[in-house]
Amino acid sequence: MDKKYGVYICTGCGIGDTLDMEDLVDVPDEEGINCTTHPFLCSKEGVELIQKDIDDEKVNAMAICACSRRVNFDVFTFDGCIIERVNLREGVVWPHSRETYPRLEEDQKDDEEHFDPIQMKAEDYIKMGMIRIQKVNLPEPYKTESFSKKILVLGGGVTGMAAALDAAKVGYDVTIVEKTDKLGGYAANMRSQMPVAEPFEELRAPVVNDLISEIESFSNIDVKTSTEVARIAGQPGEFTVTFKKPGEKIPFDVPFPLPEEMLVDEDGKDLTVEDAHAKYLEFNKGREDILQLDPDGELYGAVVLAAGWRPAVLEGEEYAHLGVDLPDVVTNDEFEKIAAKGKIVRPSDGKEAKSVVFIQSPGKDEDDADFEYCGSVTSMVALKQAKYVRGDYSDGKAYILYQHMRTPGLQEYFYKSMQQDDGIFMTKGAVTEVAQQGNGLAVTATNTLLGENLAIKADMVVVAGGMVPVTADDPVINLAYRQGPGFRDNDIFGQYADSNYICFPYETQRTGIYAAGAVRRAMTIEESMEDATGAALKAIQCIESANRGMAVHPRSGDMTYPEFFFQRCTQCKRCTVECPFGALDDDEKGTPMANPTRCRRCGTCMGACPERIISFADYTIDSIGSQVKAIGVPSEDDYDEPPLRFLAFICENDAFPALDMVGMNKMDYSPNVRFIPVRCLGSFNVIWIKDALAQGMDGVILIGCKHGDDYQCHFMKGSELAETRVKKIGDALSSLALEEERVAFVEVAIDEYDKLPEIINTFVEEVEDLGPNPFKGF
Amino acid sequence: MTEKYLAQPDLDFIAQVRGLGGETLKKCYQCATCSVACPIAPEDSPFPRKEMIAASWGLKDKLICSGDIWLCHECGDCSDLCPRGAAPGDVLSAIRFVAITEYARPKALANAVNDPKKLPFLLGIPAIWFAIFAFITMNAGETMTKIFEFIPFFDWAHVHEGGHVIAQANFFSTWFVDLTFVPIFTAAVIIFVLNLKNFLNDIHENAVLEGKTDKTSLDFKAMLQALIKVIPTILKHDKFNECESNKDRSTPHMMVLFSFIGLFIVTAIFFLVLYLFQTPGPYSQLNPVKWLANISGVALVIGSGMMIKNRLDKKDDQITLYKDWFILVLVFSLGATGLLTEMARLAHMAYVSYFFYYLHLIAIFNLFAFLPFSKMAHFVYRTAAMTYAEYSNRT
Repeated sequence: MDKKYGVYICTGCGIGDTLDMEDLVDVPDEEGINCTTHPFLCSKEGVELIQKDIDDEKVNAMAICACSRRVNFDVFTFDGCIIERVNLREGVVWPHSRETYPRLEEDQKDDEEHFDPIQMKAEDYIKMGMIRIQKVNLPEPYKTESFSKKILVLGGGVTGMAAALDAAKVGYDVTIVEKTDKLGGYAANMRSQMPVAEPFEELRAPVVNDLISEIESFSNIDVKTSTEVARIAGQPGEFTVTFKKPGEKIPFDVPFPLPEEMLVDEDGKDLTVEDAHAKYLEFNKGREDILQLDPDGELYGAVVLAAGWRPAVLEGEEYAHLGVDLPDVVTNDEFEKIAAKGKIVRPSDGKEAKSVVFIQSPGKDEDDADFEYCGSVTSMVALKQAKYVRGDYSDGKAYILYQHMRTPGLQEYFYKSMQQDDGIFMTKGAVTEVAQQGNGLAVTATNTLLGENLAIKADMVVVAGGMVPVTADDPVINLAYRQGPGFRDNDIFGQYADSNYICFPYETQRTGIYAAGAVRRAMTIEESMEDATGAALKAIQCIESANRGMAVHPRSGDMTYPEFFFQRCTQCKRCTVECPFGALDDDEKGTPMANPTRCRRCGTCMGACPERIISFADYTIDSIGSQVKAIGVPSEDDYDEPPLRFLAFICENDAFPALDMVGMNKMDYSPNVRFIPVRCLGSFNVIWIKDALAQGMDGVILIGCKHGDDYQCHFMKGSELAETRVKKIGDALSSLALEEERVAFVEVAIDEYDKLPEIINTFVEEVEDLGPNPFKGF
Repeated sequence: MTEKYLAQPDLDFIAQVRGLGGETLKKCYQCATCSVACPIAPEDSPFPRKEMIAASWGLKDKLICSGDIWLCHECGDCSDLCPRGAAPGDVLSAIRFVAITEYARPKALANAVNDPKKLPFLLGIPAIWFAIFAFITMNAGETMTKIFEFIPFFDWAHVHEGGHVIAQANFFSTWFVDLTFVPIFTAAVIIFVLNLKNFLNDIHENAVLEGKTDKTSLDFKAMLQALIKVIPTILKHDKFNECESNKDRSTPHMMVLFSFIGLFIVTAIFFLVLYLFQTPGPYSQLNPVKWLANISGVALVIGSGMMIKNRLDKKDDQITLYKDWFILVLVFSLGATGLLTEMARLAHMAYVSYFFYYLHLIAIFNLFAFLPFSKMAHFVYRTAAMTYAEYSNRT
């Protein structure tokens, strides 16, 4: 691409009033780049002005210096052009007003005493924008060698069947893999399911048979029962899937990475790379390497993971007070099985169970948590099963002792109708003991709505065990990925198949694998079917995006992908290991392999690479580094008391929108900070800190999403990895006699924009207390 | 920690409460809006939230022994504000009625009083009884006079000398009146005393169990002092007047209460006058006691009439059932037949007057005989509960 540069400055929205336009226009002029100003650049005339320059082949790489890139992105779209949006509005003139930073008088200019921080910031931003368009390229979409639009559904329960039907109805070929010998899953063995229609008062027969017969009517749904997935290799759009009979051992069973305890020798020392690899091969003897594609494998475009759940096992000391070992104390799963067989009878003696206590939370009075892997579904199951008792016996009594009674949406009507039943008794409370008493059971609870210390006699007790996602026990998806066959960082998500519970339903930690139903969270049949629709749509979106060389999510439409300058690769595998999505595989030498359609384009690999050989077409170590270097750092040569200069790398997912909101709300913060948005803090490479400090900047702050329990990172691990990198750089700084405090890492949620000015100012003040960077001016 | 409470839900009790106007007892989700809204609930363990959960659990044992259900005046503020459409006021009212029948002895009579199908018997028995004695009075005067000659100090005829005065005694002997009502009234009082003893023990025990009292035993002397303190509150309807939703019910209730007190005084005076001074009625309209009697009679009719009208007008707000109509119509009839008897007498319409007097006697019979079993019993239980609350500093 033969680049022709241009700079367009909008003078509307207060930009022209606040800034000295002549000085601003001088910035590109000095570089010999054509600069045009317009009072209303996003108007029809403004856009036409740019379009005309493009049509006249005067420009194809432009810096549009106006508002934030988060607004008017649809207006400033010019095909085939490199576009950089320089944020003069939200980033400069809105947060920093002339009331706070008065315009310089004529005689104050160039007096080496006075300076105009707003003008300086605007000029820096234009310089940064201009350098970026020089450094980046237009992306070329990536095409896979082969391509399949087929969808593989793992699990033949309600969720899997519903997902298959949804995908089949819009014309996609679907294969359902079910490891048992028939479709239906757990729901096939239930007596009834929760009400699904007005007035939400009556239970209904499980929907399973309807779904099975509907599936039979679709010729584009292939059902493989008594089948398991041995491995899924490749990447979205061209997954090569090997099937097998359950329990069978075949060469294409997926290899497992070495467990951590096997990576050390007898003395606890790390194994050498060669030894580890030998041990790995030994560990996976008889299994083909992940890079070896099964010639007989079937090709699929995307996968819906609907592998479901298993009932929780409640045993041991933790649940001893609930009498879990007593024969008439059963889990909700066991109770459902009793109910499916006929009238509710006691397991111990077959006697009619007319008085049943349902226990929803195990916490004695110590905490009010429900059982693990429970949710609103467990509350509703208790209501449903209480209804069994009442339906079977007109003098039946069902007691529900809960800490939380959750009946979302219209299921509230079900709760209300159950509440109206004369024989249903509910109270919040902490169950302290379940004990055998004569022929029956005695349940005691404290802190109930009925008083401190409540006792109930029961024929039977049902404890509300949770729905454990199968991903807690087993990789399930058996991916032939270097990071291993399952979801690697599942502990963040409580073992559920998930990657960002709040914002991105269905998305798992592996692109092209979309989870639905109870493998994603405990949910009802109705919810699972709705979930299945979502996951089926995501799978379709994935296939159609991959087909066009675009990212699915969360950078939907992004056509860039990591590119490697292999000559300098040291095969350190850091990129393979750190990728939160397992996108990178490496060969036996350790050379990484990109798998672009697995990639989410976060740039974590780029941030990880110590050799800085990984880049994206429009996002490289050099493009950011050059922006850093474009920032003017005034020294004592320029001013008697030069302002300090700070750099902020800000995550463009949440923190950058928050910063825009600070601008929109005209909240001031130190104008001496220059912000560079990054795809994810995971893509932040420590070299940029060195660039900044070497250039005399006084401090660098990284602003990203929350991680840990309250994580909000769009790429799961990005901000966490960045924090680790910042901690490690501390030592390097002190060896240069620079204070560690010059580099900071902060987390901010998108709704905490109001805290951002204080966060920035506090950092600035702390560094100001340290004094200027001693390397300034070198 | 308080003692362990074994919950034993009673499905029949739940059905009973539903049938008595507490249909909404299971709608409660324990938000406690009712207890906050209630103008008269005490600060510590306020009603009716806890009563609502106990009711939805069918905990009859806990509820009918609770003094708190009687502290409620069913003003309806809680029912108005309930976000779930429950009516705690009506539920408590139903529970109170279950409590009345539960404490009542003999049970069979209690059940009969509250069964609309038994109404013909409740009216028929006194009707026949009074008819027989009216027949005796009117036809066997001479025989009775002879019998009475053997009894010193007492005359058969409690009748004014001179033939032109219409006197009810000519129709129905005062002897028969008092021989009927004195034992009935005495029986009612005895039943009440026995019930009250159980009742007070129960509400005390319940209050101790639920930590609603600072007393450990029942001190009847202190209770009496509490009663003296409570009486002005009851007379002035202080608690009743704290209500918002049903404020207009307070005045008619007060009229009825005062007219009963007035009529009780009048009856007592005339009873004494008759037997001590041998001065039979009818008495002069100029007699101040007669003034009190007339004022009370009119107040009774107006008060109970207003209550009936309120109930008819606000059908949807407050549930009105047989138990309510029984007592309202009875009280109204009592006043109306009394006044009509007197008016007919003054109008010299002897047989019209006798007819109303006959109806009046049936009404009185129903009131006295069924006092411990009808809704009317509330005046005893509520007074007792308020007294206990005062005694145990539950305010």
